[in-house]
Order: sequence, then C-alpha cells, then structure tokens
Amino acid sequence: MRKWKNNVFVAVTGACALLSCGVLLLIVGAIFFRGLPAISWNFFTEQIRLVGAAGGIFYNLVGTLILISTALVVCTPVALGVGLLCGVYGRHSRWRERFMVLLHLLNGVPSILFGILGLIVFVKFFGWGKSWLSGGILLGAMILPTVTIALIERIESLPAKYLEAAAGLGLNTSQIIWSVIVPQSLNGLITGSLLGLARAAGETAPIMFTATIFAGATLPHGIKESPVLSLPYHIFVLAQDSFDPSVGEKLWGTALVMVGMVVLLSLIALPMRLRIHEEAYHP
Amino acid sequence: MKKRTTLEQPVMTTPDHPVLEARNLTVTAGGKTILRDIGFTVQRHQVVGIIGASGAGKSTLLKSFNRLLELNPQFRVQGDVRLSGQSIYAPEVDADELRARIGIIFQQPVVFPKSIFQNVLFGTRHHDKVLRREWPDVVERALGEASLWNEVKDRLHESALRLSVGQQQRLCLARTLAVDPEVILMDEPTSALDPKSTEAIEELILRLKTTRTIVLVTHNLGQARRVADWLTCLSVRDGAGEIAESGCCADILTNPKSDEVADFFLSRKRLAVTPSPM
Amino acid sequence: MSIAGWKRRATPTLLFSFGFSAVAVLFLLMMLVLFLWQSIPVWRHEGFGYLFGKQWFYRGQQFGALPMIYGTVVVAALALVMAALVGIGTAIFIAEFLPSRARLIVKIMVELLSGIPSVVYGLLGVLFLRNWVYAALAHFDPLSGDTLLTAALLLAVMILPTIMTLTDDALRGVPSAQRTAARGLGLTHTETILSVTLPQAAPGVLSAVLLGLGRALGETIAVFLVVGRQDNQWPSNLLSLRPLIESGQTLTSKLGGSETHIAYGDPLHWAAIVGLGLILLALTVAVTMTGIRLGTRKASDA
Repeated sequence: MRKWKNNVFVAVTGACALLSCGVLLLIVGAIFFRGLPAISWNFFTEQIRLVGAAGGIFYNLVGTLILISTALVVCTPVALGVGLLCGVYGRHSRWRERFMVLLHLLNGVPSILFGILGLIVFVKFFGWGKSWLSGGILLGAMILPTVTIALIERIESLPAKYLEAAAGLGLNTSQIIWSVIVPQSLNGLITGSLLGLARAAGETAPIMFTATIFAGATLPHGIKESPVLSLPYHIFVLAQDSFDPSVGEKLWGTALVMVGMVVLLSLIALPMRLRIHEEAYHP
Repeated sequence: MKKRTTLEQPVMTTPDHPVLEARNLTVTAGGKTILRDIGFTVQRHQVVGIIGASGAGKSTLLKSFNRLLELNPQFRVQGDVRLSGQSIYAPEVDADELRARIGIIFQQPVVFPKSIFQNVLFGTRHHDKVLRREWPDVVERALGEASLWNEVKDRLHESALRLSVGQQQRLCLARTLAVDPEVILMDEPTSALDPKSTEAIEELILRLKTTRTIVLVTHNLGQARRVADWLTCLSVRDGAGEIAESGCCADILTNPKSDEVADFFLSRKRLAVTPSPM
Repeated sequence: MSIAGWKRRATPTLLFSFGFSAVAVLFLLMMLVLFLWQSIPVWRHEGFGYLFGKQWFYRGQQFGALPMIYGTVVVAALALVMAALVGIGTAIFIAEFLPSRARLIVKIMVELLSGIPSVVYGLLGVLFLRNWVYAALAHFDPLSGDTLLTAALLLAVMILPTIMTLTDDALRGVPSAQRTAARGLGLTHTETILSVTLPQAAPGVLSAVLLGLGRALGETIAVFLVVGRQDNQWPSNLLSLRPLIESGQTLTSKLGGSETHIAYGDPLHWAAIVGLGLILLALTVAVTMTGIRLGTRKASDA
C-alpha cells in the first residue's frame, strides 16, 4: 500500500516534469525551426522593406542595441551606489533591508507602468516626443534590481580575509572599496548586467510609447524626436495584424534572433551565476 | 521478511544464529573501495562496539546494516547482510519496512521542527496501524524507555527544538524506540554531548540491551569499555577498511592481538593523557 | 565580513553611494506620486464608482474599472493555479527523483527558457494557441480564439519556469540530515517528501508562487495579443465558467492599447487611464510585499 502510494507519486510528478519539458521544448523548437530559414547574412544587414515582408532587421538590431547600451550606462552607477550602500556602508544596519524591499518592489512593477511613466515625464513633460534616451532610462530603471541584487550578493560573499588584510595595511574605507571590493565583485556586476540586458532587450511595454516606432527611423540624431526601431516592437506590431506568409517567415526570424540574443547573454553569465548561486546556498 | 508478524517469537540465539550478520561485505563508492570483505556477527541482547581510526569506514559499515547507504546512488554493496538469518538485500525485501526493524541514531540529534509529541510519533505513524487514541500511550512508553518522560511530560506539545542537545538525542532515541526495532544502530551518539548527557545515554544503552540489540560506533575507548560486550576493530589496509580484530571487549582492550589495534589504543591513551585545550 | 568601525566620513565615494541610492528611491516615489496626482480627476468624477463601475465608455465619460479588474484577477489566478500545480510537481520530481546531472541540465534549460521575451510568447499565442483554443472550444461556439482562457494558458507557460526554479531551490534548501533521519525511521521517499521536505520548504514555495502571481498580474504584451480586448465584459453570473471562453479585457491589455495614446488630450480620460495604472500598481505592490514578509519569516525560522 505504501509502496503503491510511492509509485503513484513518482508517476504524477514525473508526468508534470514531462509536461513542462515537453511544452518548453515545443516552444524552442517552433521558434528555431520556423525562424531558421529567414536567417542569412542579409537578414542582419539590410533594413525592412515592404512592411516586413522583405529585407532585414538591421536598424531594428541597431535600435535595440542602442536602447540596452543606454540602459546599462544609466543603471550601472545607481547599481554600484546602492550596492555599496547595502554591502559596505550599511552592511549591518537597516539600510540593507530597506533597499532590498525597494529593489523587490521595483522588480515587481509591471513593465507597462514604466512606459506610462515615461509618457508622462519624457514624452509630454520634457517634450522629448519619442526618444531613444527615454527608452534607455526607463529600461535602465527596470533592470536596476536585477543588476543590483547580483552585485550585492557578490559583495556579501567576498571572504573577510581580503578586507581584513587591506584594513590591516591601513587603507581607509574608500580605498578598500575601489582597490579591493569593486575589482573583486566585478563579476557579480557583469553577471547582473548581462542578465539585465537580456531582459531589457526583450521588453516592449516600456518603449512602445516612449522610444520606438515601427518604420522610418535609422540612427537617432539628438535627443528630442529621435525614436529608434527595435526588435520586440517590430514583432509586436506585425503580430497584431493578419499578414501574408512572406512576412511570417521574417517574423519568425526576428523572434529567433531575439531569443538567440537572450540565450547568448544568459549563457555567458551562466558559469559565473551558477558559482555565486551555489556559494550562497551551499557554502 | 516484509511483515513483522512472521517473526513474533525471537529466535533463540546461539552463536550459529546471530541476530545481525555481515558476510564478505564490500562497499565501494565511485571507484574507491571503502570497506573490504567484512565479516561481522551480532548476537541478540548484546552491545557490539565498532571502533577504529577516522576514515576507516565505521559509519559506512553501520549504514549498510539498514540499507541507508542506498540513499546515495554512488554506493555499491557486495556481499551479504542478514537479519535473523534472512538477507536484507534480497530483491523482495522492502527497505522501508526493514528500517522499522533496524533503527538508527546519529551523532548530531536530528529533531523535526514539530512538538515533542509529534516527533516521537513520527516514524510509527507511517508504519503501524496505531489508533489515534493510543498515541499518548505510545508516546509515554517510548519516552519512558528513553529516560526522557519525567523531564518533558508537562510540555509534550512544545517545540522539540527547545530541548537541550542531550535531551534531543534522547528524543531521537524515543522516536526510534516507538517504532519498536529489534536492533538499534548508534553512530557516535554521545560525541556531541556533554559528560552528563553522555552518562545518561550510556546508562540507557545498558538498560536497552536487555530488550533489544545495540550496535555502537564509538571513538571513545572508555565508553566501549563501559557498555560494550563485544568489540570489532576496523583499520585501513590498502586504502580500504577491514576488520583488524574482533572479540570480547574486555579481552581486546587489555590484550590486543593485532599491531594496528595496539597502536590505535596507544594513540588514544596519549590523547587521553594530554590535556585537551578546552 | 564584518570590519568594525567603517568610518563614515563624507568621502566622495560615500556621497556617490548615497547620491545614486537616492536616485533609485526618488524614481519609485516619483512613479507613485505622479500616478496618484494624474489620476485625481477620475476619482473626483466617479468616486468609488470608478473601482466598482461596470461600464467603460470613454466617449460618454463613463469609467468603470471593474470588468478589467475582473479580467486581470481571473486570468492571473487561473494561470497561477495551472502553473503552480505543474511547476511544483515538476520541481519535486527534478529535486527528489532525478539524478544530479540530469537535474542540472533541466535547471539550465529552464533558466534559459525563462528569458524568452513576452512578445515572442505573444507571437506563439497568436499563431498557435489562439487557433488551438478556438478548435477545442468549437462545441461552445466561440466568437474567436482570443479569450480569457487563452491568455491564462499563455501566462501559465510564461510563469512556469519561475515557479519551477524557485520551488526547486526551496526544496534543496531543506537540510539533508532531516531527510536521512526520516528515511532512517523507515518512511518511504514519498512520505519523507510529504511530511518533511515539503512542509519545511513551504515558505520558499509560497514565495515562488507569489512571485509568479506578480508576474502574471503585470504581464502586458502577451495578454494584450490574445485576450480579445473586449470592454465591458462583466459576467451576469460570477460563478459561471462562460466568461472564460469569451474575450475580455485586463488592466494591462487596456493600458497597452491605443486608448493610452489618444487619452492624453482629455484630462478626465487620461486620469482614468492612469487610474488603471494605479490600481495595477497597488495590486502588484501588495503581492510583492506579501512575498517579502514570507521571505523574512522563513529566514528567522531557519
């Protein structure tokens, strides 16, 4: 009887696992096999023609790259600032708790609300219209928790001996930070940034009111009224209308490129991340 | 072997019918041999001590007796272990039922984050068809047998985590006793305890052996002398643990026949004499 | 790491740190304040009728958010139930019954998949799921494959990896000594999981589920594409399942739509839109805070 219960339980959980993996594999398979035919050198170097039915996604790629680079530049100093506050200055105080709450709250904010905030502040109030800079700033704010938490975890896992050695040599706090802590926790920052960038590259909602358009833009020429094209918005717009098959193929190609980008960024971060994760859970 | 009812009457033991027996037991993990060709007998109502240097495989040997080694898929067991003459590694044997007949206590008491009452009943709830109204009796009996009843009878429903380490170890013992095993394996049960708790456990062992059989791993020779009837010494030869010597406890302690065992005693004596930095 | 007496002099680094941290705080504050302020007109106009009103006709200056709140809650709840059941079951399987190398492979796969952008999920929904749902519901004669159910299914797949990974972490966090002790008493593997591992992992599992809920509530793009975007879908019978197979509207699908663009000129309409954002913000903050409370409770129990 007990053995029977055991076997049933294994079977049920195994079925769940099979279902999960099956679904996820189907998704990857669909994207991969339908998108592959569209991938070619031209796909990456040409721009859109015929409303997505022909040509490539060059300026969409450029636009996305501009957006995520800006996001990184905007996000890094703030992440560093908060990271140092929580991991060093406020180490054993309430600051750390408070900021972790803040970061988790920020992380939970739906991405569309970033878009609406951007609409109010950048598009209307600042009068920028659609601008790559607003998109970058909003994306930077959105990925702040990801980057910061990775950095904080890394700072906190630094062995005490490095810091004690530095303090013993007479370095003051600032010196210790810049010569020991920051260099040693750099890979936490990089890991967090890669994961954040992967997320930012795929987001549509923060940028669709504030930074991106479907067609007609190449490179931005300033801040005001300088939208860019982007990969996710491209897919979003085309997915809404029934379209002809030739567009369909390019659409899958775009989706594949997007997923490929995300996977690539995550894969680079993976070895570092696994190590930090294991250190945290099984010290 | 599956149902305990088939063995209600303890078999009269003679040296030919030990309650627990290992024959040609070899345990490997990965490519490494941990124990080689172990032969081992335990007579009913005895306390058998297993001693030896660290790393000789004492805990591994113990865990091979209740098939707890299997929890780690890397371990491979060859040879045989028999409980009252029947092989425990036979395919029709249910390992979970087996562990109700051979209980185990570990070096660090592992107490579940529940009340004392629930801890004691933890194992027996899953095994026996014990009725709910009998639970308080089962708990009282088990705690009594483990010499813990008087200390906790007024706070049975408090969290077990509040007990001292010594009390927790006795709670683990009570929990095991509630399942009513024939054999109790103990892996250095007093290493983590203070001298007073250690003494309490040792008294307990001497009392328990009248109704059950105990196999005790210890690194404390004084403890072996105080409680064990029979002693088995493991030492590392050619990278794996083997039986160096086996015999009546008093005999071995005063007159070890093998060199390794003699050396081992000497090193322990030296440790005992040099004051340990407290 | 604890070096006593970090000097708190006003070094440039300290100022840098405080300054940029303040930026982060200000950002969140600004969001809250702006949303509150800009939505004031609609609260004045409708009062609490805004929350409980069932009609949304912007041309007629009527703004009731209830059908959208209903849509959001129903879609998220349904997605959560499906994802939690399958996700927790999967996590139990890979954490307890799978050998460690296979487990690592599955974990990495799942991690990578959780990074798939929502717009790609939306695409899959539009090209596949919508048609499958339409075909499956043929008996009920649906108007299209864009229904609350479709959105819920798509969301469930999206949040599945999150719930799976975090539950797996929670299960692995239970000390192995506890499991060994239970097995030593003769409990079967399943009994050990149900009586020892799962109860002790419960806070972590709960927080995984809450995180999934937060994601489900806030997801815009994928839901936008397959939910049908039909306003004023308020069910006549709250307990019936009929609304599930009809189109609907959620807070996020409304916000992501064209009304947001055209509303800006009209203060009342714009306030109504921002008000939806405020409601959404309140919901997600509530879920996040609950998750945090549970997280800190687990830490103090350990």
